[in-house]
Amino acid sequence: MASFLLRTRTLSKSPLCIKWCSPSISTTAVRNTEPQIKNDIALLNPEEIEHKKKLQNYITVEGTTDISPITGIPEDYIKERRVRIYEPPKNCMQSGTNNIGNWEMEFDTKERWENPLMGWCSTGDPLSNMKVQFSSKEEAVEYCEKNGWQYFIQESKLDKKFKPKSYGVNFSWNKRTSFN
Amino acid sequence: MASSQSVKRVVKEVKPILSLDREEARQRVLNLYKAWHRQLSYIVKQYDIPKNQEQCRQKLREQFTKYDEIKDIRLIDMLVIKGQMELKEVVNMWKQKGHIMTYFKDTVEPKPQDFLSKFLSGKD
Amino acid sequence: MIVDMLRVTLNKVLNGAKLCPKHIYIATRAQSGEVKKPEKVEVFIDDKPVHVEPGTTILQAAAMVGIEIPRFCYHERLAVAGNCRMCLVEVEKSPKPVAACAMPVMKGWRIKTDSELTRRAREGIMEFLLVNHPLDCPICDQGGECDLQDQSMAFGSDRSRFTDIDFSGKRAVEDKDIGPLIKTIMTRCIHCTRCIRFASEVAGVDDLGTTGRGNDMQVGTYIEKMFLSELSGNVIDLCPVGALTSKPYSFTARPWEIRKVDSIDVLDAIGSNIIVSTRTGEVMRIMPRVNEEINEEWLSDKSRFSYDGLKRQRLVTPMLRDCNGELKPVDWEAALLTVAKVVKNAGPAIGAIAGGLADAEVLVAVKDLLNKLGSEALCTEHTFPLDGSGTDLRSSYLLNNKIAGAEEADVVLLVGTNPRFEAPLLNSRLRKAWIHNELEVASIGPKIDLRYEYQHLGNDPALLQQILCGQHEFSKKLISAKKPLIIVGSETLERSDGAGVLGTVQALAATCTGANKDWKVLNILHKVASQVAALDIGYIPGVDKIRDNSNLKVLLLIGADECSIEKSDLPADCFIIYQGHHGDYGASIADAILPGAAYTEKQATYVNTEGRAQETLVAVTPPGRAREDWKIIRALSEIVEAKLPYDNLNEIHVRIKELQDFYMTDAISRASPTMAKCVQAVLKQKQSKY
Repeated sequence: MASFLLRTRTLSKSPLCIKWCSPSISTTAVRNTEPQIKNDIALLNPEEIEHKKKLQNYITVEGTTDISPITGIPEDYIKERRVRIYEPPKNCMQSGTNNIGNWEMEFDTKERWENPLMGWCSTGDPLSNMKVQFSSKEEAVEYCEKNGWQYFIQESKLDKKFKPKSYGVNFSWNKRTSFN
Repeated sequence: MASSQSVKRVVKEVKPILSLDREEARQRVLNLYKAWHRQLSYIVKQYDIPKNQEQCRQKLREQFTKYDEIKDIRLIDMLVIKGQMELKEVVNMWKQKGHIMTYFKDTVEPKPQDFLSKFLSGKD
Repeated sequence: MIVDMLRVTLNKVLNGAKLCPKHIYIATRAQSGEVKKPEKVEVFIDDKPVHVEPGTTILQAAAMVGIEIPRFCYHERLAVAGNCRMCLVEVEKSPKPVAACAMPVMKGWRIKTDSELTRRAREGIMEFLLVNHPLDCPICDQGGECDLQDQSMAFGSDRSRFTDIDFSGKRAVEDKDIGPLIKTIMTRCIHCTRCIRFASEVAGVDDLGTTGRGNDMQVGTYIEKMFLSELSGNVIDLCPVGALTSKPYSFTARPWEIRKVDSIDVLDAIGSNIIVSTRTGEVMRIMPRVNEEINEEWLSDKSRFSYDGLKRQRLVTPMLRDCNGELKPVDWEAALLTVAKVVKNAGPAIGAIAGGLADAEVLVAVKDLLNKLGSEALCTEHTFPLDGSGTDLRSSYLLNNKIAGAEEADVVLLVGTNPRFEAPLLNSRLRKAWIHNELEVASIGPKIDLRYEYQHLGNDPALLQQILCGQHEFSKKLISAKKPLIIVGSETLERSDGAGVLGTVQALAATCTGANKDWKVLNILHKVASQVAALDIGYIPGVDKIRDNSNLKVLLLIGADECSIEKSDLPADCFIIYQGHHGDYGASIADAILPGAAYTEKQATYVNTEGRAQETLVAVTPPGRAREDWKIIRALSEIVEAKLPYDNLNEIHVRIKELQDFYMTDAISRASPTMAKCVQAVLKQKQSKY
């Protein structure tokens, strides 16, 4: 791999510079260690080999899986917290829209206070900054159900009737859209 | 805007972790339980914990019956893997007395459960 | 914190030209799908074809494809100005770049938004804007959420060629005083004229303008005049730079340390969507959130600037009045036990008055508690005429056409209401319709300044009778209108002849249904956020029931501060419990105070005057020992041994839904027009003396 990089570097440099001494043979092909032999296939019983093969296929599972027992989140934080799934609104102060258009989930707000030492914001809630983003509402719902959180969805009302804008209406003689 | 927790009777195809069916998962769980059970007397002696073996057995039973309701084989596999990891740490003395005692939660103050106690104690 | 946006952009790319909500936000749906469909024109923007209606501007067409062209002066809710020139894009075969915000597309145009010419144009514009812009970023409130900062990073050049700084320097402009709410630092102004257009179009106050030309151009009121509009705070959002900022918010916080929580405003009955910005457990500012059906992206001044009242005169601990008559702070157990003892002794002689800021959860909890104790005396502070259909039919006390419906109307009759102060956002919709749809407005009531022209018919309720009988000239307009609206103010209905007024108006509404059968004519405009929820749940409007009850033992005031009932009206041994968040009138007459949470501190449901239920969310936690309102009632109910069946928010929502369904599936469904009951009301009105 290193030799490959060296080779490309010589190619990209200008023809007037000195030629680097690059090895003409690839050094990665030479193996210093013996090839790895997989013992499993050789030592396993035929049932075990079959079992291994079956593990490569799929099994069927019913219902939605609640993985809260293995996530390690304490039970309180699963049972007592509610998740809000929403579309983050556009900042009304700016006209940029790169922050919107996705779905986000966040937890209900718990107490925050000003730290007496430095004036920073302290909280006792470990999930206070947990904001996960998704590209669709269904993904967010699936995630919450998988983790076992209670959630509610907040819909945004952004649909507007499209009206083409026109500069000429500012000067209309009969409509009220002209300047006064 | 109430939350919807509808139970979906959806069947899906997933990749297994260790076991292919419930029987196999059950075997794994039972093997893990037996391994822990065998280790209990050594735990009490080596870690010098202030519990006797009977209490340890109860705790072990409690930890296993906590996950009685789980149906997904992959979850059972994951829990078995985690149990196995804990067992390894205990057997090799990588854990310490404090870690073993956290299973018993004897220093944890119980949080208020009913509405009125929660109301009087704080904002939650 | 918010991690990377890579996943989102990848998904957008994978989904191709699918319109995600962001695109809908930028330029809305391409098809209105309604009346006639004009022949669509095809244009190519960055080699992507798009079909648009003729007359669409290049900027709107690009937004449909997902390309956002930078701009300063263009705003989708204001008229096109085209003076910032930041939106210049290259159009093939055109000698000069064109302003995308103003140029309508022609068939077959190829528009390049990322070509060399476009980029050079943007850099040039940015350079000119920054030449005279002061180096105020460290002290400017808009830093961090400034359009100029963002666009100069994205589209501007990396170095400055401004050598004049060593000679005559940058231009400086005097600050203008336009009121205690808006801080103006006009040196930072880039003369985009958004504030001028807002003031003259949306607010209707033609006070802002430009003086001078070229380098000496100044934006202001010229004479020292206050920007007297109830929507004046919106210019703070509109101004792309820090020229117009919020005076109460100045120098308090930076946008990156702020946490934003979506919520609903409850200081009037419109229920505008807001964002409560907090930091370290304090509310720093309140900003509007886009909701096309209610407040678009505007917010009235009262909602925007009154957040500092949330920190003053708050009730932070339960209090009991001792033998000397002084209120002493106690802890929750003592307060609840005392109150419970009194309530148990009172039995069914207990009443409740709901104030203007009470949410649906606490209203339901109080109703359940009082019903369990055997009392039906639940009142609201504001009256509503109970004759005729009263509060049984939902459509008789709601703004039936919804706030967005006001935009489509062609004739509006305002009866005894001043929407400018009672519901500024409804007024802005009416003004929008007046400008764009040739709306005609007439008003019966005092002569008020609505900031748009309207016909003042008079101040006499008898005029309504005249219009109904067809004797007034206005009745012709009303009957021939295709989408007439009659908006009645709630204060008018609180008068002694309110029932008669309502009856006449209902009859009038029945005669002029307009062209469409689904179009409702009668609308009631409330003033407080809790009234509709209380009427929905089953509270009796008006405190007369409590006032007439001579052996009332306990009165529960839920934030009732409007002096609707005096201590002298009640029997001497009546125990008054006040549950609220501010120490106002109600707390001063109370014997026990239970501190509740304000609207930024609880997750609560409020129903606005249209009948739309919305939820506020917790932005900060209640101060001190205060708790959420419905939880106090639930705790009280447990001690009184009339335990309510809900322990958490989900369960109380289930209960609210139960009640809602009960009222919705009443004998006459809510969609039923006022016809049937209206006839009854008119008959009743004929019997009454008005």
